[in-house]
Order: sequence, then structure tokens, then C-alpha cells
Amino acid sequence: MNLLTQFAQAAEPASGDVFAALGIDWMMLIFQTIAFVILVWLLGKFVYPILMKTVDARQAEIEAGSKAAAEAEKQATEAKQAVDKLMQQARRDATDIVTTAKEEASAAIEAAEAKSKTRAERIVADAHVQIEKDIVAAKKALHNETLELVALATEKVVGKTVTAKVDDAVIAAAVKGAK
Amino acid sequence: MNIFAATDIHISLAAEEVFAIGGFPITNAMLLGLVGLLIFLGIFGYTAMMVKKGRYNRFVGLIQWAFEGMLGSIDTVISDKKLARKIAPLALTIFFFVLISYWLSILPGIGSIMYDGVPVFRSLAADLNFTIALMIITMVSVQVYAIKQHGVFGNAGRYLRNPFKDPLGAFEGFLELIGEFSRGLSLALRLFGNCFAGEVLLLIIAILTSYLAVVALPIFMAFELFIGLVQAYVFFILTLIFTSLAVDTHGHSEAAPSHSSHPDHSSADHVSTPVTAKE
Repeated sequence: MNLLTQFAQAAEPASGDVFAALGIDWMMLIFQTIAFVILVWLLGKFVYPILMKTVDARQAEIEAGSKAAAEAEKQATEAKQAVDKLMQQARRDATDIVTTAKEEASAAIEAAEAKSKTRAERIVADAHVQIEKDIVAAKKALHNETLELVALATEKVVGKTVTAKVDDAVIAAAVKGAK
Repeated sequence: MNIFAATDIHISLAAEEVFAIGGFPITNAMLLGLVGLLIFLGIFGYTAMMVKKGRYNRFVGLIQWAFEGMLGSIDTVISDKKLARKIAPLALTIFFFVLISYWLSILPGIGSIMYDGVPVFRSLAADLNFTIALMIITMVSVQVYAIKQHGVFGNAGRYLRNPFKDPLGAFEGFLELIGEFSRGLSLALRLFGNCFAGEVLLLIIAILTSYLAVVALPIFMAFELFIGLVQAYVFFILTLIFTSLAVDTHGHSEAAPSHSSHPDHSSADHVSTPVTAKE
């Protein structure tokens, strides 16, 4: 304060008024105060809200973006976890399916083997039966043919010496014997 | 032989009357303040208009960047966003207007335009009427917000306590009251001192360096631009800190801000020297 007084004395030696020396004029002070308040009010009413709105909007966008990024990261983590879980489940299912398939395949092979064996046996049995039948038929045909040949040979050998009556009796006896 | 370009120095601590309108004196500080006001309104009016229309360019982007930065500072200092938005118009206007006024005074030749033997322009921040007006508005605003927060009696209780019940608290309250005045006064005098000293510094450098001033002055002008930015920011941030302290419900006396960490050349040597040169 001493310094200011000294200065004021130097600047305004006649009046000795500190405020006047410092250039403080009450009217001017009030005028400038009111003018500045009006300036603040004007800017606060018409200018700053527009700029603040854009700042807020940008801030909101940044926050929304940040939130969305965090959400996306969370979802990605969750999705990865879900995928891992699904993969594990799929691996388990695949293992089960493969095991089941192997078992089923084995069973099918066994069943097929059994079936083919049965069928083969039946085919073999049928073949045996057929062969037997064929043999019987062949034997019968051979017998009949043999008889015919015998009859024919006999007829040729004894045809000229034996009468028809004797011939028939011989044939009948031969046939009877053959039977 | 006189080696200095100008030796007849015209120095005035007070803003000088250039002319009067109806008996009301119009000072050189007011004239430059008016120029600053027009520039300020022009810049922000244009920016607001362009933003409203959704048309952006580099200049608008620059102003928006500065505005957003300062708004961010407000939000950092004052945690209550609602209060921050209420104090923002005052704090932002102080910052930008003081900055423009300060920087205008650094323009080369601004002090050499004379009318009737008086410099026509002088920095508004180098007029105590303006800095005290800012201080009054700031301190009244701080008290208004404090009263809104604590109530009339609650706010008075910060300063006035029963000395019989709590002698230490009463003393603390008294100190707080003195602190309020000293904070306000320091706000006004710091800005005035720095701006006035800056103008004087440029003048003295111009005289001392004579014709080499063309080389020396730009360095000091750049320095003054920086000081202007710092001073505007200091006034701005202290307004916020005082508001924050006043509305603080957890005790206000502990967190008194330190003012000593910013560049400040408003020392006694600077205050006792003056402004313009008569060539």
C-alpha cells in the first residue's frame, strides 16, 4: 500500500487521491461492470448455448461410441465364449456320434454277416436238395432208359424165337423184376 | 547526440480521456476495449452462426477447439456439471475477452496513435476500472453461488463464528473474510499489473534498443503474447477455483489455491512505470 501511495503521490501530487491516481473512476467502474455483465448475459443467452450444444453432442457421441465399443467388446467376448462352448459341445457330440456310428457299424456288419451266413446256408441247403432231386431224377431217367434198352435188346435177341405171348410175359416179368 | 529513437516518454498509470460524450469521459482503454469487444463478438457471433448452420471451416474449428478445451477445464475444476455450466459463461467470457484485450495491446504501433497529445488506444486490462469491475463481478458471482449452496446464514457462517464457543474457528472465519478480499484484490491487481508492465516493458525495450528494436521487440512481443495467455487463463481458472471453494461442502479453508506458480511480472518496479512514447 505504501508503494501505491508513493506512486499515487508521484502521479497526482496535487490531489493526493489514491483512487484518482490509479485511474479509478467510480462512474467508469460501474459502467464497465454493467457493460461486462450485459456482455456475459448476451453471450450466455445467444452464443455459448450453441457452442455448448455441439460440445455436448460430440461428447455424447464419444460416450456413445465408447459405450458401444465396450458393449461390442463384451459381446465379442461373450460370442467367443459361446463359440468355445459350442465347439466343445460339438467336439463332444462328434465324439459321441463317431462312437455311436462305430458301434452301429459294427452291429450292422455283424448283422449282415449273420444274415449272409444264414442265407448262404439256406442256399447251400437248397442246392443240396436240388442236387438230390436231380440225382433221383437222373437215376429214374437212367433206369427207364436202361429198361428200354434192355427191352429193345431182348426184343432183338429173342424176337424171332418167342411168340408174342411169351414175349409179353417175359417183358412183364422183367418189368416186375426191375420194379 | 541522442542515441535513442524516443526519449520523451509519456507514462500514465490511469487510462486517459480521449474525448467525452455528454460529460462522460471516453478513455483510451475504453476505445481499445471497444475494438476488442467488436472482435470478440465478431469471432464468437460468426462461429455460433456457422455452427448453427452446420457449416464448418478451419477458423470455426479452431474456435470450437479452444472453446471445448476451456469448457473441459471448467468441468475438471468444478465437479458439479450443473454448476459448471452456470459459471461457464462468466469464466469463458473473462478468458476470451481478457485474452483478446491483452493481445490487442501488443499490436505494433498501437500506442503511437495520438489524439490531442493523448494515446488513442491502451489495453483495457491496463485500466484498473476494468480489472476491478471483473473482480467485483467474479466475487459477487462466487458469493451468489455460495449462498445458493449453503444458504444466507450458512454462507455467513463461513466467516462469522461465535468467538466464545469456537475462538479458533472465529479467527479462522475472520482470516477467511480477509482472504476473500485479498483474493479479489489480487485478481484485479495481478491482471492490471501484468498488462501494464507488459506495455511498459515493450516501451522500454523499444527505447533502449533504439533502431535495433525491429529485432528485439518481436521477441518481447512473443513473450507478452504468452504472458497474456497465461494471465487470461489465471483469471479464468481462479474464478473457477474460488467458485469451487465457495460451494465446497467439505471445508473450504484447507484447499486455498496457490497463486504463486504462474509467470507474473506485476512487481513494484513494473507498476511504477508508464506506457507510451512521444516520438
